Amino acid sequence: MNLEQKELIVKRSYKEVYKSEEGIVKVFEPEHPKANVFNEALNTARVEATGLDIPKVKEVGQVDGKWALVIEYKEGKTLEEMMAADPEHLEGYMERFVDLQLEVHGKKSPLLNKLKDKLSRQINSLKEIDATTRYELLTRLESMPKHDKLCHGDFNPSNIIVGEDGEMTVVDWAHATQGNASADAAMTYLMFALKDQKMADLYMRLFCKKSDTARQYVQNWLPIVAAAQLTKNNELEKDFLMKWIDVVDFQ
Amino acid sequence: MEKKEETMIPEIVDSVETLEAKMKAMREAQKIFATFTQEQVDKIFYEAAKAANKQRIPLAKMAVEETKRGIVEDKVIKNHYAAEYIYNAYKNTKTCGVIEEDAAYGIKKVAEPIGLVAAVIPTTNPTSTAIFKTLICLKTRNAIIISPHPAAKACTIAAAKIVLDAAVAAGAPQGIIGWIDVPSLELTNTVMKEADIILATGGPGMVKAAYSSGKPALGVGAGNTPVIIDDTADVRMAVNSIIHSKTFDNGMICASEQSVTVLESVYEEAKKEFAYRGCYFLKPGEELDKVRKTIIINGALNSKIPGKSAYEIAKLAGVDVPENTKILIGEVESVDISEEFAHEKLSPVLAMYKAKTFDEALEKAAQLVADGGYGHTASLYVHPAQTEKIAKHAAAMKTCRVLVNTPSSHGGIGDLYNFKLAPSLTLGCGSWGGNSVSENVGVKHLLNIKTVAERRENMLWFRTPEKVYFKKGCMPVALDELGTIMHKKKAFIVTDTFLYKNGYVGAIEKKLDEMGIQHTCFYDVAPDPTLQCARQGTAMMRSFEPDTIIALGGGSAMDAAKIMWVMYEYPDVNFEDMAMDFMDIRKRVYTFPEMGKKAYFVAIPTSSGTGSEVTPFAIITDADTGVKWPLADYQLLPNMAIVDVDNMMTQPKGLTSASGIDVMTHAIESYVSIMASDYTQGLSMRAVKMVFDYLPSAYENGANDPVARERMANASCLAGMAFANAFLGLNHSMAHKLGAFHHLPHGVANAVLLTEVMRYNAAEAPTKMGTFSQYEYPHALARYAELGRFAGCQGATDEEVFENFIARLEELKEKIGIKKSIKEYGIDEKYFLDTLDDMVEQAFNDQCTGANPRYPLMKEMKEIYLKCYYGK
Repeated sequence: MNLEQKELIVKRSYKEVYKSEEGIVKVFEPEHPKANVFNEALNTARVEATGLDIPKVKEVGQVDGKWALVIEYKEGKTLEEMMAADPEHLEGYMERFVDLQLEVHGKKSPLLNKLKDKLSRQINSLKEIDATTRYELLTRLESMPKHDKLCHGDFNPSNIIVGEDGEMTVVDWAHATQGNASADAAMTYLMFALKDQKMADLYMRLFCKKSDTARQYVQNWLPIVAAAQLTKNNELEKDFLMKWIDVVDFQ
Repeated sequence: MEKKEETMIPEIVDSVETLEAKMKAMREAQKIFATFTQEQVDKIFYEAAKAANKQRIPLAKMAVEETKRGIVEDKVIKNHYAAEYIYNAYKNTKTCGVIEEDAAYGIKKVAEPIGLVAAVIPTTNPTSTAIFKTLICLKTRNAIIISPHPAAKACTIAAAKIVLDAAVAAGAPQGIIGWIDVPSLELTNTVMKEADIILATGGPGMVKAAYSSGKPALGVGAGNTPVIIDDTADVRMAVNSIIHSKTFDNGMICASEQSVTVLESVYEEAKKEFAYRGCYFLKPGEELDKVRKTIIINGALNSKIPGKSAYEIAKLAGVDVPENTKILIGEVESVDISEEFAHEKLSPVLAMYKAKTFDEALEKAAQLVADGGYGHTASLYVHPAQTEKIAKHAAAMKTCRVLVNTPSSHGGIGDLYNFKLAPSLTLGCGSWGGNSVSENVGVKHLLNIKTVAERRENMLWFRTPEKVYFKKGCMPVALDELGTIMHKKKAFIVTDTFLYKNGYVGAIEKKLDEMGIQHTCFYDVAPDPTLQCARQGTAMMRSFEPDTIIALGGGSAMDAAKIMWVMYEYPDVNFEDMAMDFMDIRKRVYTFPEMGKKAYFVAIPTSSGTGSEVTPFAIITDADTGVKWPLADYQLLPNMAIVDVDNMMTQPKGLTSASGIDVMTHAIESYVSIMASDYTQGLSMRAVKMVFDYLPSAYENGANDPVARERMANASCLAGMAFANAFLGLNHSMAHKLGAFHHLPHGVANAVLLTEVMRYNAAEAPTKMGTFSQYEYPHALARYAELGRFAGCQGATDEEVFENFIARLEELKEKIGIKKSIKEYGIDEKYFLDTLDDMVEQAFNDQCTGANPRYPLMKEMKEIYLKCYYGK
């Protein structure tokens, strides 16, 4: 595949994403673990099997000696763009966003990795926090109910493509796991809160209402997902996340 | 050898491997500890408590230094408390071996240790909790392995080590107390999974982990203690108690007050007192908001808050307060969980609410408990005389400790402000808090109590009317007592039409007239008396208001009179309740009302059969529904029975035969009943012999053989007293239903079943035997043989005597005109077979079945019915 003529649509430190006639081509830097590339392909294939209409993985291969994934292209704008362009209808978009997330949570994929294991690994890997805080976080995680719902792991409006017909599609299943839906919602809430607390509150309100979940139950996950987010090493977010992490259990 | 074993025990526990080796060694130590005597244990407990007590100050300093939370001087009190109060509470408690014994009842309670206890210890009260848990484990001969919180591990371990060293010096096995040196969740989970029981103190996360480890856990949960200050309370005492408690160790006791709801009329007074004593009221708006957002983050407690002073917390929030501020108070309105002040704060930060009424305050408190303190503690300040409010509050709080006029930190842990509340640093929260215990945890929760129960026999009894008068012509003499001794004024006679019309009542009336006792007579009793008939009699009784009831007749008149007696004394009784079946008459759910408050009951039989004059039984039929209510209770025993054969001379032949064989059945069944005793068996034996000897002549010669008549009258009464106490058996169960379904006279129904039921009961290897402590093995055959021998039957073995006994019974039946089979009585075969299954089930359920020596299966009963129907 020659990428020269292809349109570069996303560039991150570890990957470049192009658009070609075969679809979206994600090309990973050599430092990005090979296993992660195959894991993303496998996750996507597993989610395809749940019956959700998502862009299918077409190929795992190499481009110029780098590992690459080819995934179906989905025509449309991201929900993030739509929300920004049409703030008057924000609540309506948010409702559909939550509905879509709940549809995802309604699926099961028993062979996917477990969210709890992933979170536990992430907390253990954190050097920024002391042993006591890790102990508190792990105790908290241990006490959370164990579920097996399909969780996207990075469910935010930039990962939703809205087609011409208004149909929404969830893309980028690299972080998909099975686990507790409220943890997935807590992660989404955190994403919003990092940018815009008002949107975060709107999301929380709608999620709790539509899923009939108590707010505290989602909130219980916040220190844990904040710790997971801390592993991404974004200096700008650090103080904000530390504040969320540094809490103790009631006694 | 010894050395080798020691090297296997790791010095430092920092991995699953070392932890497992440590726990293994501790189990060995505990095995030795389990053999210690109470004396040895008490010495260890004493020395350990003493050592912990001595080190209370260094340990308190260590705890504050390491955790950076709390106040040294208050932690000294907690350590002191954990050593002294726990020792004092349990020093005399028996925890080893037999702790309770009752030789008469044959019951013994034996205390055994549980084994290896896992203890999870929090940062809030590390040293005192460690002292508390290790001491109660030593007292109960358990080993204890501690999983400290990483933020308090050094002081927790130091406290445990002090107790361990003192215990070992006093003779406890080496290593009986252990700990994880480098705590991690993995090791905590391992400890909890592999110990025998978990003493978990900590927040919901840890408690949840304990409960999901699969081991029994004594977990405690979070508190969110709401306080109410009622308008009747001593406001100054209330406010200062709250300040005292809330500032104790900077609010780190989980029972500490989190909010105070003050009744409107004393709100300002309370506020003034709080301010006067050094509390700071956060200004509405910015100040309040700053603290709000500092204490709680996303609904969780900011870890920088617990155990810090009010000044430090205010500073963190960016609010200026005097350095000696005692408590930060936020006046807030919402009790919803979205209000940060409504949460538990583990620090000197308090929410304050205003309530218009006491009920509103209760509602708020109930919601605050629901916000995060289910099962823990609630507190009320009120005038002690307001018992209604105190009760209402206690009823409304879903908490396991409800404290009145008590600082809740000190009050909840017990023995400081109330001396019956057990001292403890582990407070159970009941099912509301997801706990297995709802009280303060103590030594009893760390013991397995074995109950050793030895076989004992039931107490038996012999109950009979206080007066049984007998002899031909005795009736007027006996009745004389009513006037001359008892000074009765009004007698109510119950009898049947036949007896009335034939002048049998005359002799009684004459005697009553002589004594000046007013009387009246109800003579409408028919055979199988009905409830409707009894109601008529009762109505008459109520208007006549007798102080004596005289029942004259056979079973029907006496039964009807007993029922009238009940309805006369207790107009509102429910027959359904009174007829309730029982396994043991003394344990029946229904308690019979006490009889005899209005009337004295005299029973005078005119037939020799039922024995009703001396039995506690009566049967009544509801004519509307057809339901038969068999009543049985010693309250139904007549007060006086008069057996005068002059009343029985003219019994017709059929009645003599049927009631005579009924007497025989009473005597035989009561003799082999599981309830039979020395006291009843003598009566039964004599009755059997007399029936054999005199029934044929009484049947043949009637009034012409007054001796035979009289002996039959006595036999009936003797058998009545026997079965009034030993009860009957399957013969009667089956006869009752045979009579009910096919209208055979009761005595005849008994007679056709008698020998077949005896053969059934005589089995030496019955399918099942009756359940009664005294009934040790199946021995009906031996009893029948014993009875047979007394009646003159011979044989070399029990089997032979039994066969001869059966033969004599068959002979007797023939002599008195009893037919050989049910069929011969003209019972239609098809109808008999069609109703057979119903009859079997009802007979099985008959009250008499329970005393039968052989516990019957329904298919076996069916076989007996069939054999008796066809005459084998």
